Amino acid sequence: MADKQPYPGPPRWVKVSGIVVIVLAVLVLIVMFAGVGGEHGPGRHAPTGNAAPTLPGLAGHQFAEFPDHHQGV
Amino acid sequence: MIMAPALRKFVLTTHVATSVGWLGAVIAYLALDVTAVTSRDVQTVRAAYLAMELTVRYAIVPLALASLLVGIVNALGTPWGLFRHYWVIFKLVLSALATVILLTYTQTIDGLAATAATAADPRGLPGSLPHSAGAVMVLLIITGLSVYKPRGVTGYGWRKQQEKG
Repeated sequence: MADKQPYPGPPRWVKVSGIVVIVLAVLVLIVMFAGVGGEHGPGRHAPTGNAAPTLPGLAGHQFAEFPDHHQGV
Repeated sequence: MIMAPALRKFVLTTHVATSVGWLGAVIAYLALDVTAVTSRDVQTVRAAYLAMELTVRYAIVPLALASLLVGIVNALGTPWGLFRHYWVIFKLVLSALATVILLTYTQTIDGLAATAATAADPRGLPGSLPHSAGAVMVLLIITGLSVYKPRGVTGYGWRKQQEKG
């Protein structure tokens, strides 16, 4: 019976991809937790103006009232 | 457990169909997203946001879940295994991550569509371009991994190969 060969380790593309993934994950975490670009999550996409209906806990954008008969311009 | 050849073909076909369908649905979503952000026509913008929500709910989410689950079954039922090759692990992690982010982000898309459906001018809504463009990138990487299958076995895969002789 032949001797078992030692594990050669992961190939280079795995190491490079792993480093890239870690760097991207750290950047995303920094952006999320440092608040770069404002609040992250559903809240950033909701209106604050009186004209638009409010969604609980959502804030971030101003909306103007836009009467139906003026739509489609 | 290795599947019989006929079943393996069926599962593989289902996996390819759902995965490519997922990519196609996200590209369609991206087209709507770009339209929602760039168009100056109120009704076009409103329609784009409503279509984005429907696309996510009835195409992207089902296809993502199906692709992920069928992909796991496909890996476990073939000699590739789920944890034997790095490219399979990368695919699994990327698919799972994309699905989790998608399910979390669905709430935001629902909010955008609900706001766009009101009488308020929807042209100020921000869209979701970073997420949709990022999703296309990730799914293209997953597709590339599936086609090229870059070499590299894990320690576990190496031991299995050695045991097999």
